Amino acid sequence: MIAALMVLLPLAVAVALALAPKPAVHRPLAMFGVVATLVLGLLAVDGGGRLEVPWIASLGTWIALDATGAGGVLARVAAAVLLPTVLWAGARVESRPHLFLAWLLATLAGLSGIFLARDLVLFYVFWELTLLPGLALLAGWGLTHRRAAMVKYLLYAVAGSFAMLIAVLAVGPLSGAAGYRFDQLLAAAPLLDPLTQTWIFAGFAFAFAVKLPIFPLHAWLVDVHEQNHASGAADVAGTLYKVGGFGLFAWAIPLLPAGATALAPLGLALGAFTAVYGALIATRHAHLKRILAYASLSHMGVVAVGLFSLHLAGKTGSMALLAAQMVTTGGLFLVSGMLHDRRGSFELDAFGGLARSAPALAAATLVVLFASIGVPGLANFPGEFLALLGAYQAAPAAAVLALLAVVAAGALGVNLYQRLFQGEGRERVRDVTPLEVAVFAPILALTLWLGVAPAANLTTFEREAAAAQTVTAEAAPVVAEIAAAVGVLAAGGVR
Amino acid sequence: MSLPPIIGDLTPLVPAVTLVAFAAITLLFGVFTRERVALNERAALNERAALSERAALGGLALTGVAAALVFAFYLWLESNASGVAAAALGGAYLGDALASAFTFVILLGSALAILLADGHLARLELDHPEFHPLLLLATAGGLVLVSAGDLVTLLLGLEIMSLAVYALAAWRERSRASEEAGMKYFLLGAFASAVLVYGIALTYGATGRFDFAGIAAAAATPGFAANGLLLLGAVFLLVGLGFKVAFAPFHQWAPDVYTGAPTPVTAFMSVVVKTAAFGALLRVTGTLVEALGPGPIGEVLPAALAVLIGLTLVVGNTGALLQSGVKRMLAYSAVAHAGYVGLAVLAGGEAGVRAAAFYLLAYTLTSLAAFAVLLSLMDDDDGGDRLERLAGLGRRRPWLAAALSVAMLSLAGFPPFAGFIGKVLVFQAAIAAGHAALAVLAIATSVVAVVFYARVVTTMYLREPDAHSAPIRPVGRRTAVVLAIGVVGTLAFGLFPGGWLELVAGAPAWIAGF
Repeated sequence: MIAALMVLLPLAVAVALALAPKPAVHRPLAMFGVVATLVLGLLAVDGGGRLEVPWIASLGTWIALDATGAGGVLARVAAAVLLPTVLWAGARVESRPHLFLAWLLATLAGLSGIFLARDLVLFYVFWELTLLPGLALLAGWGLTHRRAAMVKYLLYAVAGSFAMLIAVLAVGPLSGAAGYRFDQLLAAAPLLDPLTQTWIFAGFAFAFAVKLPIFPLHAWLVDVHEQNHASGAADVAGTLYKVGGFGLFAWAIPLLPAGATALAPLGLALGAFTAVYGALIATRHAHLKRILAYASLSHMGVVAVGLFSLHLAGKTGSMALLAAQMVTTGGLFLVSGMLHDRRGSFELDAFGGLARSAPALAAATLVVLFASIGVPGLANFPGEFLALLGAYQAAPAAAVLALLAVVAAGALGVNLYQRLFQGEGRERVRDVTPLEVAVFAPILALTLWLGVAPAANLTTFEREAAAAQTVTAEAAPVVAEIAAAVGVLAAGGVR
Repeated sequence: MSLPPIIGDLTPLVPAVTLVAFAAITLLFGVFTRERVALNERAALNERAALSERAALGGLALTGVAAALVFAFYLWLESNASGVAAAALGGAYLGDALASAFTFVILLGSALAILLADGHLARLELDHPEFHPLLLLATAGGLVLVSAGDLVTLLLGLEIMSLAVYALAAWRERSRASEEAGMKYFLLGAFASAVLVYGIALTYGATGRFDFAGIAAAAATPGFAANGLLLLGAVFLLVGLGFKVAFAPFHQWAPDVYTGAPTPVTAFMSVVVKTAAFGALLRVTGTLVEALGPGPIGEVLPAALAVLIGLTLVVGNTGALLQSGVKRMLAYSAVAHAGYVGLAVLAGGEAGVRAAAFYLLAYTLTSLAAFAVLLSLMDDDDGGDRLERLAGLGRRRPWLAAALSVAMLSLAGFPPFAGFIGKVLVFQAAIAAGHAALAVLAIATSVVAVVFYARVVTTMYLREPDAHSAPIRPVGRRTAVVLAIGVVGTLAFGLFPGGWLELVAGAPAWIAGF
């Protein structure tokens, strides 16, 4: 029941925000929505976090939610990151702020649904629904060239999700599963023959690659970030919605182990290339949001490498990195909004020397930036390390390539800090305002917490990864047996 | 309740007969009041009395549809309770699950179309007293079409429906486009009927039977040697009905007729006529695919159908992409949706029927909501449907814009709207029946479809209206009812489709081909 509330409550608050007449209640209402969802997430640790109700009996779909697993962790982190985002957006968005906040809350509802759904059709519904708030934030509050960015985003996203729809609808009937609930599918789908698995996995992987995103399906990402509202709040929502990695981890890889094995080399190659490509391209740009977008693309490459290693450590690390980059990339986008506040531009040339007049802002940004480039003790490190470790076990070449990307990202991060905060300062800017302190506080706390005490989350991720791993191991002999049986039959036919 | 045997045998006919009876009553009522309306108007004595008499016609027609719906529901309950699918006239007229499901959809579509028309007929100067009787007759023809147990009844239903719709399509007397629409529809429709009759003759020649059950049984007897002839008949039947459901390449009439016909009639045609034709197509293909059986000859019909569906999907969706008028865009999109329903027909079986019935239900609700918004924006001469008309609607009329957005999202197949569940059912049925490649093509064309549906939404919210753009008139009460039912239904059937699906699945034995 609590799991259902994690979806319904933010949705209800979003509707209330859209209809609420008094501006005075908007911000408290939005904050209440996020805080309550977060609290619900923290409460949903045992039986209360699970829900199973039949939905469409003749289709075999369920309203099945589970907040106790890996998805629960990601849902909690997403809610926690939206906390400062709502705070910041409520103050910084001038035109129709209540609608902006409503769409942020709708994003939260959709994300909760994506992370908690344990029924494939339900997962698809939330996956698709969460697209709308992102588009609405871009349409309603974006910059001048938002239309082109929207069309690009929509086409990529819809092409991906429709491919996934085919995969979803194929995996049920073809495997003969009793229904679309995860456990029902898990009992049947891994037994499909490897070729069918590969086709279906390709459908999933296409959708997830668009939303990871990885090369060559990433082109929408940068334009969307560049055209989003200058506060950076919409970018945070976009960052949280990079759920492709979770889709691979929670659905595609466990359900279709043979398909995953068949396509893993491609995934590793693309992931490693994306990691390097993102980091290198980022250094060639002078627009802060574009740089952040490419840097986050590089992270996603590492996530993909970890996942497609199909190694326990790699998958576990990828999820941890995904959770951590929600905080760090999201935090950096909020910082970009603060910087835009001071200089009215995202061009790096407009900055420089800010540390002199705004030392606290510089220090806080440095911590988030360091976390983002994987400095030990901060958020991204445990995940990045494990993802690369796992990848090294399975595919050393891809791991080495991705490692290069991490080095390049480090150089990029330091260089970025220099160009923003050091060097010649042209004029004084104000240091952090009380609001910005309030925005930074949860970001920094999460950054430290995920870096210093990652064990609890890692255990949750590993438990789920390991469960899928045993299925893979069990499935292999079955597949071999089927193949052998087919061979015997064929031999008999020949005779 | 026990009825005397002869009437008991005829019970499945009651909904259609009710409609015909109400058509007659409405016609008489209209003829007698016309003179008084004219008198009142001429004397300018009592304009309100004239208006109320016009409204009475609509109310009468609605009552007829509602009565038919009540009877249909009662029949469905009866046959559910007895566990036997009803049949009348020796199996020529059926009351099985397919008939019930499609009857519900047709009657719902007809009721909404009447409400929608009533809100705009007077404004568009289309309110001749024959309008409602013809609409009721067309609906009755649709019921006969989906309940037909043999090919003769099917032809009868098709003609009852089509003749009424030919007249309705040409309803705007002073409009060349409307005249052309009616003429085009009539000529091509007559041609299609001829092809259909030829197909019926060939099928009869091959099997010696008209009824679906008999055709299947005859073909199944050992030593049946007229497979080639039967196939020829089947192809002619497919082409004849393909015209009516607007499968490419027999779709050419559809965009012109849908655009030229008065918009309320377009709305009626795109939901009721299409649903009825698909009901018949499901029965015919279901019977003939089974009759032709497996083997090289049996594979021709599904292959031909698959080619038609593939073409329809591509032509409909790319055609819609190229339109600048919203009405014409919806016309092409209607062609495209015929392709998706066709996928369910191809899949066949109970899953196919269920998917088709749900898809058409969703399409009926959504499409009528879209037409309701469009009609509220269009000029009094039934023109002015250009996309620019919608610019800034999000700010000027937020509720209208929201309703149209819901309709567009549902047509595009976004959850949580009914259109999404429809697509899920159709694709699942197609994939389970082994047509994965066609399902992939359908998905690929759906991506194209998103572009033109999204264009409507972005125009409403992102484009500023011209300074001299026409004021938007207030939405009438009846149009508001259509909008409310359409939007709420689209959402409700998207979130909780279970009730309807159970209703269809729970009906007793499929007969005649199923």
